[in-house]
Amino acid sequence: MTTMADTAHSEPAIYVYEAPLRIWHWINALAILTLAFTGYFIGSPFPTMPGEASGGYSGEANYLMGYIRFVHFAAAWIFIIGFLGRLYWAIVGNHHARQLFMPPFFSASFWEGVFHEAKWYLFMVKEPRKYTGHNPMAVLFMFGILVWGTVFMIFTGLALYGEGAGMDSWIYTYFSGWIIPLFGQSQDVHTFHHLGMWFILMFVMMHIYVAIREDIMSRQSLISTMVSGWRMFKDDRDVDDGH
Amino acid sequence: MTETFYDVMRRQGITRRSFLKFCSLTAAAMGLSPAHAGEIANAMETKPRIPVLWLHGLECTCCSESFIRSAHPLAKDVILSMISLDYDDTIMAAAGHEAEAIIEEIVKEHKGKYILACEGNPGLEQEKTGGMSCIIAGKPYTEQLRHVAKDAMAIISWGSCASWGCVQAASPNPTGATPIHKVPDIGNAPIIKVPGCPPIAEVMTAVITYILTFERLPSLDRQGRPKMFYSQRIHDKCYRRPHFDAGQFVEKWDDEAARKGYCLYKMGCKGPTTYNACSTIRWNGGLSFPIQAGHPCIGCSEDGFWDKGSFYDRLSGIHQFGIESNADEVGIAAATVVGGAVAAHAAVSALKRTQQKGDQE
Amino acid sequence: MSVIQTPNGYTLDNSGTRHVVDPVTRIEGHMRAEVNIDKNNIITNAVSSGTIWRGLEVILKGRDPRDAWAFVQRICGVCTGTHALTSVRAVEDALGINIPENANSIRNIMQLSLQIHDHLVHFYHLHALDWVNPVNALKADPKATSALQQKVSPHHPNSSPGYFRDVQNRLKKFVASGQLGPFKNGYWTNPAYLLPPEADLMAVTHYLEALDFQKEIMKTRTIFGGKDTHPNWTVGGVPCPINIDGTGGVGALNMVNLNQVHEIIKQTKTFVDNVYVPDILAIGQFYKGWLYGGGISGSNVLAYGDIPDKANDFSPENMMMPRGAIINGKFDEVHEVDHRDPDQIQEFVPHSWYKYPEGVKGLHPWDGITDPDYDVSTAKGTSQNIEELDESASYSWIKAPRWKGHAMEVGPLARYVVGYASGHEYWTEQIKMTLKTLDVPLSALFSTLGRTAARALEAAWAADQQLYFFDKLMTTIKNGDESTHGGEMWDPKDWPAESKGVGWTEAPRGALAHWIRIKDTKIDNYQCIVATTWNGSPRDEAGNIGAFEASMMGTKVEVPHEPVEILRNIHSFDPCLACSTH
Ligand code: HEM
Ligand code: HEM
Ligand code: NFV
Ligand code: SF4
Ligand code: SF4
Ligand code: F3S
Ligand SMILES: [Mg+2]
Repeated sequence: MTTMADTAHSEPAIYVYEAPLRIWHWINALAILTLAFTGYFIGSPFPTMPGEASGGYSGEANYLMGYIRFVHFAAAWIFIIGFLGRLYWAIVGNHHARQLFMPPFFSASFWEGVFHEAKWYLFMVKEPRKYTGHNPMAVLFMFGILVWGTVFMIFTGLALYGEGAGMDSWIYTYFSGWIIPLFGQSQDVHTFHHLGMWFILMFVMMHIYVAIREDIMSRQSLISTMVSGWRMFKDDRDVDDGH
Repeated sequence: MTETFYDVMRRQGITRRSFLKFCSLTAAAMGLSPAHAGEIANAMETKPRIPVLWLHGLECTCCSESFIRSAHPLAKDVILSMISLDYDDTIMAAAGHEAEAIIEEIVKEHKGKYILACEGNPGLEQEKTGGMSCIIAGKPYTEQLRHVAKDAMAIISWGSCASWGCVQAASPNPTGATPIHKVPDIGNAPIIKVPGCPPIAEVMTAVITYILTFERLPSLDRQGRPKMFYSQRIHDKCYRRPHFDAGQFVEKWDDEAARKGYCLYKMGCKGPTTYNACSTIRWNGGLSFPIQAGHPCIGCSEDGFWDKGSFYDRLSGIHQFGIESNADEVGIAAATVVGGAVAAHAAVSALKRTQQKGDQE
Repeated sequence: MSVIQTPNGYTLDNSGTRHVVDPVTRIEGHMRAEVNIDKNNIITNAVSSGTIWRGLEVILKGRDPRDAWAFVQRICGVCTGTHALTSVRAVEDALGINIPENANSIRNIMQLSLQIHDHLVHFYHLHALDWVNPVNALKADPKATSALQQKVSPHHPNSSPGYFRDVQNRLKKFVASGQLGPFKNGYWTNPAYLLPPEADLMAVTHYLEALDFQKEIMKTRTIFGGKDTHPNWTVGGVPCPINIDGTGGVGALNMVNLNQVHEIIKQTKTFVDNVYVPDILAIGQFYKGWLYGGGISGSNVLAYGDIPDKANDFSPENMMMPRGAIINGKFDEVHEVDHRDPDQIQEFVPHSWYKYPEGVKGLHPWDGITDPDYDVSTAKGTSQNIEELDESASYSWIKAPRWKGHAMEVGPLARYVVGYASGHEYWTEQIKMTLKTLDVPLSALFSTLGRTAARALEAAWAADQQLYFFDKLMTTIKNGDESTHGGEMWDPKDWPAESKGVGWTEAPRGALAHWIRIKDTKIDNYQCIVATTWNGSPRDEAGNIGAFEASMMGTKVEVPHEPVEILRNIHSFDPCLACSTH
């Protein structure tokens, strides 16, 4: 859909990312970083704490691992609810809100766009294309790694969480009960959940790099767009959304 | 003079009055009128002990050894008064043909009414090419197993061997050791898994007593384990849990933390991923359990616990691409590659940009 | 039909009728025996086959050597722990790790518990029914049984006529139920059973008492190793820390646990002295004319030695169970055994279901190979329905280990013979006492009964040594040393690129050793030669038969289709087939 493209020569800013989407983006980013930080230390805890394990009201009391796990679980719920909210917004929000979840896999121009972006990153073309929403390559990565990575982390995370909640809990019934045998046993779910963290962190690394790079080198604004919602363009040529 | 359920219950100190009460409750539970309580009492007073055929495959016989360590009830009382252990090649008097004849007799005469207790498992690898790695009476153990399984009322898979495969099924599983529920053509008898290497003695006898006393199979979880003993992890009820929550860990053998009984998580404890009753029922009459004696849980009641890397590593070993590592090593390696690529890309981008700027000027 | 003369002195004649016993029951694991019986009911050819194989040596390759104990412990749950101990010793040997004195004392107490438990359970629950007829016990007069009990063991509290009557009533009720359970289809009318009813009743009573008591013996291991069976061990020491007088002492071995251990040891000693040893002597009286089954025990025996007094010293002088080999019946010459010498211990496979590379005959275990090769093409029947094995071809999953080319018997009797020959005072006293009580000559030792008696004597000795090590543990703690783990070399980063080691123990059934090669922190090769591998070995390249087969030779069988005598001889070794093939 290129409604703007038809008319725009000297383009004004376009409002692409509505507030809920932007809020989700930043909350989600924070949740993921928190989850990764706490998750890592659940896997490989800090050196032993001094003092008593349950010191009651005394200042010596320790609950470090408990707090780390609590923060992990709290962030996890924010992460889950945020993701569900984002899914809802994909339905009710503007069409940019849907982009993340449905890359047009059957459109040749989409793949041509991915190919073009790839060439851009390989310094094979001089200029990137101009997009109102995400560029095709970004969509592909966000969908392939972040969306599915999120789903994977939520399912495996809930499977682990259900173990603590107990066999009679709904979380165990709907998640742990089938996910654990699917992976083999609980320890395998831990391993894959842990690997999932690195999978997502790799996305985060590339994503942040690319966001900053494109902010500088592409023909449109990026970071400020994710803050304000408005896309600014650096030239007045046509956008390439349809390609 | 048949020993019956009633005798067994009497032996366990249950009075006639509570026995009759039990019968009327049972009648009510089955939706029958109180008048039927008499019939049930009669049945229970005259019913013979349930025949049990205890078969042994590829195994270490530790499950049997554990079984005889039961304190409540005593193994002696289970064998003499609760069940009729008609076949168990580890302790039976008969041998050879006389032993095998018993199987035929029970399978025929008690069709659908006996219990098959499996210790160990069959190896299917050699059999594929006409060989055998577990031979009973000149034939593959699989044959005996299937024959008895077909008409069994229920199958008990003792231990991690029968439940999951256990040590002989550890990679590369040279004999093709296969847990009972995965043996082709094993039939339709319900299978109760009682995993552990071995299972706790009192858990083993409790499973049997439960079946006899309540005349039904225990409720099982999705993987076929009795919920009453396998629905929680060691970690959920471990007495060292406060130290886990506090972040107080044993870092190496016999250190200060070990002497204070801190959490064994960093020594590779698999308590957080292991479903078993060790931290509550404990072993040998409730005396202790691995963690109490200072050793991390190795996860002996879990499927494939042999192949998750060293018992002393917290993170599982991952064997892929011919190298051995764990999730963090894999992740850090991958992140390093990505980070390197990002840095290099950034450098080239910066260079290009200065060039472009230069061109423009 | 053929007659073969074996190098180790047996004439194998397979012209008589062939009898097959499969499964051989009341043993650990799966085993098949075949014998030829001549017209005088004498066994003239004997074949024993191990019929279970799991491939632990294959599975161990590439794993962390510090984990190996847990794998090999699962070789057997009957001699549970002895493989684990052997394994941690092998790894410690390879890496040059020393363990603290306390760890040595604790390991010894655990190992001795196993000796006692395994022997006791073997005698009462696996072996006794070869000598004791429970059906005959129904005829006993409880008063006579009580008198017998008081005579053979005046200190055993359970000896009143009423006590035996209760047991007899329970037994009567059991038999009358028609559901004989484990006693079903026994050979209860066979004339080979010689005990009078009152002795049968006493023995059956102790069958039950021992079944109740045995579980107490192993509780030492629950305290030190967290569970039994299959307690936990660790390379470099023991997992259980000691905290006798400090903060958090309840979190480690403390005075309460040590008192428990002490109590268990004392009870064990009492039971062995009051029940096990007297029963052996009492039952032995009635069977002392039945002296079959000696096999090669009178000529070739082997012991590795175990129970190091001081930690980390495996020299014969420091071992409370002696080491040595005796060959060709020369008892005045006890040879030193070197596990590292490539020419001493070797394994052969010409009659086993394994293959070696072309041209290879025997292999020292550091270079050992385990490559399965099941083949019964020349046997009678089909490959999955064996009717009669062909002992001239491969016929067993057990390899054939040899010491300098000799088939050797290992086990309690072998240990006592080596001990007697090398002047072990305690054991020599016991042997003399036994021979005197039974009024039999020294040669009676080399028999099925001798094997069974040696086991009981060893249990009594072991209980005393437990007390010794308990005292030693307390003394060390008193002197301020609470350490239970060496700590050195735990981290694989500190290991050499390549190393090899050997560890050994005296398992209940005899000499046991594991050989390990470590390369780049992983197991490169791991080979076990187990007690029952020695005793149950098939023939070798030269045709020597192993101890099981030799023990059956020449035995008279009362009723050829009721194999009581075969079971007796085989059972006297306490065969463990899971061990033998692993
Ligand atoms: C991006 C998202 C997430 C990341 C990066 C992450 C990371 C991790 C890591 C690294 C571990 C340690 C695993 C181990 O080695 O045992 C862990 C454990 C865990 N995570 Fe997550 N996690 C995420 C999302 C979630 C979610 C959505 C849940 C759902 C409730 C969850 C629940 C858990 C639980 C229950 C544990 C086990 C805690 C324990 O063993 O004490 N995680 N997580
Ligand atoms: C854990 C960290 C982060 C995650 C998981 C993440 C994830 C995402 C996702 C899923 C989108 C697509 C939004 C949608 O369509 O709903 C997105 C867009 C975006 N993110 Fe992030 N983000 C993270 C951190 C950051 C940071 C730190 C920045 C800024 C430096 C950033 C800048 C952007 C920008 C500019 C876009 C819009 C791209 C476009 O307009 O095509 N993100 N991010
Ligand atoms: N043979 C043998 Fe074992 C013993 N004793 C081990 O070394 O029994 Ni299972
Ligand atoms: S489950 Fe473990 S203890 Fe039981 S027979 Fe198998 S290896 Fe032995
Ligand atoms: S010792 Fe093991 S089971 Fe117990 S709290 Fe620590 S990690 Fe959990
Ligand atoms: S190792 Fe096994 S015995 Fe229990 S504590 Fe762990 S499940
Ligand atoms: Mg071997």
